[in-house]
Amino acid sequence: MYQALLTRRYLTSKIMPLLAALAVALCTAMVLTVWSVMGGFLAMLLSSGRTLMGDVTISWPVAGFGHYAELIETLKQSPKVAEATPVVESPALLGTPVGDTALINAVGIEPSSYDKVTGYADSVWWKPLETPLPKDKGWDDPRLWNPPPSTDRGQTTLATADQRESMKRGLERLQRAAMDLGAVDPRTGDDVPGAVLGIELGRLNQRRLGGWYEPRHVTFGKDSVTLSVLPVSAKGVAIDVQARRFPVVNNFKTGLYDIDARTVLVRLSSLQEMLGMQGATRVDPATAGAAPGFGVVTGPDGRESFAMPKEVASDPARVTSVLVRTAGGVSAADLKRECENAYLAFASRHPGEAAVPSPSRILILTWDERPAVATLVQAVRKETALVLFIFGFISLTAVFLVFAIFWAMVSEKTKDVGVLRAVGASRSGIAWLFLRYGVAIGVVGAALGGGLAYAVVLNINPIHDWLGTALGITVWDPSVYYFTRIPSRVEPDRAALVLCAGVLCAAGGALIPALKAALMDPVRALRFE
Amino acid sequence: MTLSPANPDSDAPRRDEARDAILDPGGGGAILEARGVRKTYRLGRVDVPVLRDATLSVGRGEWVAILGASGSGKSTLLHLLGGLDRPDRGGGADGANRISFNGRALHEFSPGALDRYRRRSVGFVFQFYHLLPELTVLENTLLAAMVAHGRFRYLAQREQLRTRAARTLEGFGLGARLGHRPAELSGGERQRVAIARALMNEPPVLLADEPTGNLDRATGEAILDAIAALRAARGQTMIMVTHDPSVAARADRVVRLRDGAVVSKEG
Ligand SMILES: Nc1ncnc2c1ncn2[C@@H]1O[C@H](COP(=O)(O)OP(=O)(O)O)[C@@H](O)[C@H]1O
Ligand SMILES: [Mg+2]
Repeated sequence: MYQALLTRRYLTSKIMPLLAALAVALCTAMVLTVWSVMGGFLAMLLSSGRTLMGDVTISWPVAGFGHYAELIETLKQSPKVAEATPVVESPALLGTPVGDTALINAVGIEPSSYDKVTGYADSVWWKPLETPLPKDKGWDDPRLWNPPPSTDRGQTTLATADQRESMKRGLERLQRAAMDLGAVDPRTGDDVPGAVLGIELGRLNQRRLGGWYEPRHVTFGKDSVTLSVLPVSAKGVAIDVQARRFPVVNNFKTGLYDIDARTVLVRLSSLQEMLGMQGATRVDPATAGAAPGFGVVTGPDGRESFAMPKEVASDPARVTSVLVRTAGGVSAADLKRECENAYLAFASRHPGEAAVPSPSRILILTWDERPAVATLVQAVRKETALVLFIFGFISLTAVFLVFAIFWAMVSEKTKDVGVLRAVGASRSGIAWLFLRYGVAIGVVGAALGGGLAYAVVLNINPIHDWLGTALGITVWDPSVYYFTRIPSRVEPDRAALVLCAGVLCAAGGALIPALKAALMDPVRALRFE
Repeated sequence: MTLSPANPDSDAPRRDEARDAILDPGGGGAILEARGVRKTYRLGRVDVPVLRDATLSVGRGEWVAILGASGSGKSTLLHLLGGLDRPDRGGGADGANRISFNGRALHEFSPGALDRYRRRSVGFVFQFYHLLPELTVLENTLLAAMVAHGRFRYLAQREQLRTRAARTLEGFGLGARLGHRPAELSGGERQRVAIARALMNEPPVLLADEPTGNLDRATGEAILDAIAALRAARGQTMIMVTHDPSVAARADRVVRLRDGAVVSKEG
């Protein structure tokens, strides 16, 4: 009881221990803020990583597998599967309109089903935008077709309703082209397969501080990129380089730099053709063009026709992966098991067929197991752990501060300890007095720190903006860090952990002084001057 | 008039010895008794014997003054009697080097029992008051009750205890100062708070170590008057230590401490 009373009185009458509380507060706030920002960063990476990947991929790289339409049908029969889409992926060389060459990943897709699996439509960049990005204060994003008249663009290029209308129509055209992955040939009016480039690819777009992009070197629908791929035989031998030009029709942005800087989307059929993965029939070379009379034969009805080579077998069209999206409420891991079962059933219908890899060898991965995401996520996790370790270590200074302050205080309070022992306080009671006081300091500090961290994390972007405008400090430059806003997320269990650690630190610092007080000889304590 | 001391060969000390001691009516004999007590301090490698053979028997309701020069070991003896410290190890034959309360040997008390003994059986008053500066007058007085009762029993009877503490303080003329801090009081007032604290748990024995040593004569007289009134009203047993013969003269009996031994002197 006396411990509670004295703790209360010490808390309100002593300055030094409050400094200890402040140290605890700063340390907990620091760790909590860092963890929240890193955690938010990771969460943002993960959700970005998920776009354009689906939840589970079934893949057989390079060679690809056949009968994918049948596999997709099998998959869709499961209630756990919402949608599945075929994809061909291949490394490719890209020649950009400015003459650069880059090694990229070419991905052939069927846009509409691909969108249903991956949310592709949302990641298409060039489309009409009604409201600006959070940091785009001046409405400078070229996608904003209807800026207020007070802005620069509202006064110049988009001053009239006509200008705005035609701007909007132009953006809508780009959006449609992205969903169609095609362009209209300006000379012939024919439909031509086009390409959608990752927004960071080849620095064809300039990222601005406001988080928006300015296209620099590309006129959509007119400028082309050249894709060169290397088809490979079933034995892994390169056959011949295939190159083709694709007009650039739009850009996409997932938020994952590695993907946005190294991915080009084209139609599934285009890439299949270039890689020799479209369906083909195998013929008997002995019958092809081998008939006499320049290959003209006379049929049973007496009519003449060209001799057709005799079909021996048919090679099915192939894809390298099928991407699958879960139905609501089903976890990716759950879906993965479902996909494994579906593939097992599918493969059992094609025994011994070369175009259907055995179920034991096919790669079925959840989105976060895919190497591109997994390495990045692992890196960020490691970095988070490292940063937390460093900051946690720094926070040990708070323990020493509490220790030093309590040591001094126990010395100062020696006489009080003697008095308390004289009126009958036990050693353990004395220890608890100071330990409890340490805990109180910890609770006060952790509460302050938690509040501080919460306020900082909630307002981290305004604070950062203010730093930028008032002091000219830009720590988080969106043109460097890629995300336009500093991500952050306060997770209650983490916060609880950090706050508890703060209290424990204070209690830990008070422990030895408390023991010192408890072990004091009461008579010496009373004689202490 | 000798009280049979606890049999030294008896079983290990029981947990509730102190409580039993309090409850023991004890008859009319000695309530607190020191027999051939030895206390030696070690200063580095040198042994400094302070008490060699201190024998003292205090009867129930008696006011005994221990008179002695500065450094003669008065405080040491008082601390031993109050269970704050223990005599040198080892009892002599015939039960020497023993302090007993109501016939029970303090050296057989466990640490917990000794704590309880200080809570319930004795109350200390010091020369320099030793009030806790952060607590008010009332809280300083209640402190003894808080320590004695523990959280729940204290809270259960908080109002009663507060009333009792306030009444005691009023009796000492401090009714208007209950909410004041010790720093706001004069020396005499502080000492009266300290006495109120010592009396809070109604201990059978009050131990006062030069209670007037830090006060001017008039204030000291007032304190002694208060102690005398207490004795008159409640028959409080008191052991008071002083180096001032005129202060000692107020007691029923005066003993002298010289060369580490108690020399009785006609009172
Ligand atoms: N902890 C200690 N260590 C060594 N000597 C001590 C200690 N406490 C007291 N003394 C010595 O014991 C003697 C008696 O002290 P004390 O009991 O305080 O005397 P008094 O109260 O009569 O003035 C003194 O000489 C003092 O220096
Ligand atoms: Mg003394």
